[in-house]
Amino acid sequence: MNNGNSNAPQRATITYTAPHTFLATEHWKQVYAALLSQLPLRNLHWKSASRPNIRTIQELDVNLVPAEGRRDEHTSQIPQTVLEKPLLNAYIVVCDDAETYKNTVKKQIKDWHTSATQRKNQEWLIIHVVRPDSKAAAQRMFQMKTSVLDKIRADFNMEKKDRCVQLVWSYDSQDNLTVWAELINKLKEGILSAFDTAITQREDEVKRSEGQRQMPGWNFCTFFILKESLATSFEGMNLHDDALETYNELEALFFEVLKEKNLSWFGTLITPAPKDDSVPLLSTSKKPYRDLILANTISIFDFRIYLLARQCAILHNMHHLIEVAQKSVAFLGAFGRRLREVEDSLPKFFVESWTYASALSVVEQCDAWAKGLEFPKVALASFNALKGELVELARHQLDTIGIRVGHLPNRPPFSIGLPSQVSQTLGKSVSNRTSLQISQGEVVKALSDKDAFFTLYVKITNRAIELYAAAGRRKFALKMHGSLAALDVHRDRLTNALQTFSSLPAHYAPHGWTSLEAYMLCQALDIHSSVGKARDRDWVYILLDFLKAYIQDLGKELLMVESDHMNYVTDLVEALRVAAQSAPSEMTHHDHPAISVTISDGNARTAEGRDGAVLDVILNNMLPCPLPMDEVSVSLSGRDGSKIHFVENVKSLSPGKNKMPLFCHSAAAGTYSLHSAQIKMSNLTLQWVHSPPPTGKASRAKRPPVLVRIPKDLHAVDIRLRQSQRIQLGKTPSIVAVFTPGRNHIRTATVKLTAPSGIQFKFGEASLLSASNGELVTSDDSITLSGVELNTSVSISIPHSDASAFHAMRVNIIVEYTTTAEPDVHRTLQLVRFVLTALPVAINVEDFFRGTRLFTRFTLSSTSPQHVRILTTDLISQGKGNDGLKIVRSRSQTRRLTTITPAQPGRFLFQMDSVRGQERDPLHLRITYRMLREEVEQVIESVIDTVLEASESSRTKRPEILEILVQALEKDASWVSLYELTGELVIPNVSTEDEGIGEALDEIKKMLNQPRQLEEFSSEWREIVIPVDVPQMHILASASLQIASNPFSRDPARSLDLFAGQPIHAILTIRTSFHWAPTEDSHTSSYQMRFDIEEMSKDWLVSGRKRGDFTALDNNTFTTSVTLIALHHGELPLPKVAVTALPIPGEGRMKAPLLPSCETYQVHGAQTVLVLPRGGRSTFVVNMGESP
Amino acid sequence: MGPPLRLNAVAFVSAQNHPILIRTFSQPKQDELKYHYIAHTSLDVIDERITAAGATKSTGCYLGLLYVEDVAVYGFMTPTKVKIIIALELSDNVVRDADVITIFKALHTAYRRSVANPFLRLNVPSDNVTDHSLLVAAGGQKWKLFRQRIDEICGAVTLPGAAA
Repeated sequence: MNNGNSNAPQRATITYTAPHTFLATEHWKQVYAALLSQLPLRNLHWKSASRPNIRTIQELDVNLVPAEGRRDEHTSQIPQTVLEKPLLNAYIVVCDDAETYKNTVKKQIKDWHTSATQRKNQEWLIIHVVRPDSKAAAQRMFQMKTSVLDKIRADFNMEKKDRCVQLVWSYDSQDNLTVWAELINKLKEGILSAFDTAITQREDEVKRSEGQRQMPGWNFCTFFILKESLATSFEGMNLHDDALETYNELEALFFEVLKEKNLSWFGTLITPAPKDDSVPLLSTSKKPYRDLILANTISIFDFRIYLLARQCAILHNMHHLIEVAQKSVAFLGAFGRRLREVEDSLPKFFVESWTYASALSVVEQCDAWAKGLEFPKVALASFNALKGELVELARHQLDTIGIRVGHLPNRPPFSIGLPSQVSQTLGKSVSNRTSLQISQGEVVKALSDKDAFFTLYVKITNRAIELYAAAGRRKFALKMHGSLAALDVHRDRLTNALQTFSSLPAHYAPHGWTSLEAYMLCQALDIHSSVGKARDRDWVYILLDFLKAYIQDLGKELLMVESDHMNYVTDLVEALRVAAQSAPSEMTHHDHPAISVTISDGNARTAEGRDGAVLDVILNNMLPCPLPMDEVSVSLSGRDGSKIHFVENVKSLSPGKNKMPLFCHSAAAGTYSLHSAQIKMSNLTLQWVHSPPPTGKASRAKRPPVLVRIPKDLHAVDIRLRQSQRIQLGKTPSIVAVFTPGRNHIRTATVKLTAPSGIQFKFGEASLLSASNGELVTSDDSITLSGVELNTSVSISIPHSDASAFHAMRVNIIVEYTTTAEPDVHRTLQLVRFVLTALPVAINVEDFFRGTRLFTRFTLSSTSPQHVRILTTDLISQGKGNDGLKIVRSRSQTRRLTTITPAQPGRFLFQMDSVRGQERDPLHLRITYRMLREEVEQVIESVIDTVLEASESSRTKRPEILEILVQALEKDASWVSLYELTGELVIPNVSTEDEGIGEALDEIKKMLNQPRQLEEFSSEWREIVIPVDVPQMHILASASLQIASNPFSRDPARSLDLFAGQPIHAILTIRTSFHWAPTEDSHTSSYQMRFDIEEMSKDWLVSGRKRGDFTALDNNTFTTSVTLIALHHGELPLPKVAVTALPIPGEGRMKAPLLPSCETYQVHGAQTVLVLPRGGRSTFVVNMGESP
Repeated sequence: MGPPLRLNAVAFVSAQNHPILIRTFSQPKQDELKYHYIAHTSLDVIDERITAAGATKSTGCYLGLLYVEDVAVYGFMTPTKVKIIIALELSDNVVRDADVITIFKALHTAYRRSVANPFLRLNVPSDNVTDHSLLVAAGGQKWKLFRQRIDEICGAVTLPGAAA
């Protein structure tokens, strides 16, 4: 074997015999050399009766020895391998001639054969060597004669099995494999057959011996040697599996014996010999083990080592190096433990030294064996891992030694490797040590030399780290790094240690190994303080990480180093406070789990007595000590990204749950979601962001949003927007902002309005409306109010750019204000309001011209579902009134409110009388109206004010009462129709819990239920002013068709009797007037016109000039006559006359014809004429029948 | 019937390699660090074993002896990939796998029963019931019964005659 082991397995042996004369020839030498070149034998298939499967031997080395030199040793009592004796005896015959054979050769074979067949468990074979040419010649010459081989067969091969073989060989044909095939097969057969018999016999022996185990006189060692011979036999035949199996059985038997506590066959557990602790573990030759076993004096120590070494040797032959390492680790660990039981009787540090040396020697041995072997990737990793384990085992021995000698302190991580019970007996005086000393050079040196020890320690650890890294065992390597850092601490190399301990936690944190993380961080903190390094930003982060790990369940478990957690953590937290104060810049730490901020209730409260809201939060401090801090704040985000902050100054947070109210001085009512929470400690900010950032990873666990509702504070500063009281089309529109300071005296309030739709507000032109207190300062982008008294309201009109494209306008309002009560608090209120921009009413105009008069009808209808109450409509001339235009309004008797709805429009009629030819001033239609809702609200407010005048106490409740009533009315619309007619307001069911309100409420309801003249009710009226132009008309024509008096009638005054079918003379009169002609066209004196009498073919026949052109002059009459014939009797309307103006040829170059405007009204439009049936008699002759 | 085994430590590690519970029974408290290290480093070996087992398509839960380091470390992986690691006092005797498997089965049952505790899901938003932090939480200080069960098993193992 490659390590020069003398226990190399015996090979299978073949002896050969031949006549001396032949052995001396050159021919034999050639044959012998050729035969050797065919060895080793390959692919032997051993079929054993006792084994279920065929064992295949890939390759078998065979010894080929001459029989003469070999003397039968007298069989020793010690069972040896079955291969010790030859398995096969061969006789080589060279004889071509039958005569020679008969005379001499046969005799020689006979002698040999007799001795060969007598040997037990051996096979024989006769090889007849011939040259090919001689064979061919012989066959030709002695065709009929039997060959020499046949003769040999006939003489010796009595059994069925053919044990004679011919080798046809010459020097030339040596490459020819077929020449050898038969011989080789015979050799294999022979060897296997002999081996099989021998093994079977030996196995029987073993079985017999094992069966006698319980009998007195049975000896384990003897049995071991006997059975081991089987194993070595298998090994010799390259049957490694069987060999290993045999050893495993022996090992199992050993443990059984061990369990029976029957170890009388062994010597002591261990009799340490010099160098025992430093020789290679896996050498089977370092001691005469077999002799010791035979002598029954082997120590268990030696025996176990021998057994292991043999197993490993076989495993090596099978190339199972991983198992070698595995077995060695397990053995060293387990047997090392066993040795410790008798540690007192061993040389000092023998166990450690032995384990150390053995582990390293196994690694070396494995490396040596692994040379030239290819491992797959996975196997290589585990091979490295096991080597790493071995090296680590050696390292642990150094730990133990180091602690005992005093090179290392007795605390983790160094004490990890100490076997538990040993660490207890540590320091006990050891009395009965043997005088022997340990011999492992490195260990001996390390014992005395501290530096050498450290160097060795680091070297071995680094080796383990390398191996683990190669094996991909990251976590093992981390552990080793940790121990190196611990060594650095011990050696006062603190900078290195700090670096390692600061970087290690990151490896443990991700999977929640907080115990290890906390341990590393704790080390880092300790080192940090012992180095005296400044408590900088890194330190704070380490500390925060430590606290994070500390509050976890597992985190505390490893902190046994610190006797008093509480004090330790308290000191750290105090140090943190100091560090945070002195930190040069802001630090923010996210999502620290030591403190949690939760909102106790989804509803915030209003802060009584001042503007703002109060939110109760629960702060859970999981640290065992109070946490100093400056400020707690919670941010909520509302719609449109608006954010509000609740803040409270807190000195310290005691452990456990703390409920505390946070105050936000400017909180608009609405629903918000929790965005983040913060705790400030000087320059350190701990932050918990609740809602994930929009770009956050999806993998992050989604937390449901936490909603917070902030109630409306009716006494707080508020701004409402509404349409301007007076809307005048064609002028800059404006809105009115009503600022109500509520309970506050406002020092200054800056209001900014923005409209997302792009409408621009002209703050510079903003103005206070009358009946407002306070002062207004305008600037380009905001307006500022100052000195507003409490419980008042300020209305500001703010013009803005055109918004007619929108129906409603959304306005974002930002109010920044300070109050006289809290001049230092700058409150910022963010509001969103909507204001209607469309007109509440739609207007239709119809004009009717009659001579110098014009009747105009306005039809107003509501554009929204709301009811609009219209007080008056006025048509006003904008001029001085000297244009001669007289406007008369149709007036109902009583001044009444008109209610218009989308379904029920209102009509308003005006009459105008004008003087001709004057420039007319534009007119304005002014509508005074109010929305029903506003009116009702104002009615209620006035009633409330009257009622509350009496009771001082409930005056403060005014907003609440108003809110209750308005809400009640909103729910039910049944009160509307009664109210619109009578002004009685019947409030539907109202209930309130508030005692103080209830009484007042009843009174208010009673008062509201009384009829009232709403026209007289003084409240704000809105106005819409719409510019209206006086209409113009070039020609106004009035056509009349008059039945002329019968020219034959005597009395022209007497009304004419008309009869159907009678021709009636009618006069068509068309009167034209240019009164309403536009002033620029007033110079035109005449127009060409055309009339056309309507065809009414069922009623009238028209005869005469039915259609015709005429020239129209101002205030002139055109007359023509037609004849009408009524077609039937009855009340018939006269035909209508259509009058149209003809286009005027264009003037100048353009020549585009102009069509003057013209309107015609039928003077006779409503007239009918009575047509009588035609009078007179008719005679009808009826034939009464035929006379006979 | 082997000699009694000495159970030094038990560790439960979740499928995501988060420690659920590490329980040590050996006397000197200093060893705590050692067993935490063992639980952590064992994960490397378990990974190796699983990779190897994946190649051979083995489906057993029992991962066998993981490594030896003055204690014998055995591993077991439940079908839900929760790893159970135990550290047995090294002895020179043969430790039968059957005995170790018995211990593991008992530990697995203890874990299973603890995770089945419906109150674990208290205060956990209902939409992430699969969250593994829940399973980790079973080992928290709050849930005493789990620890108690583990301690009982350990007691039964260490008492002679109870291991089988």
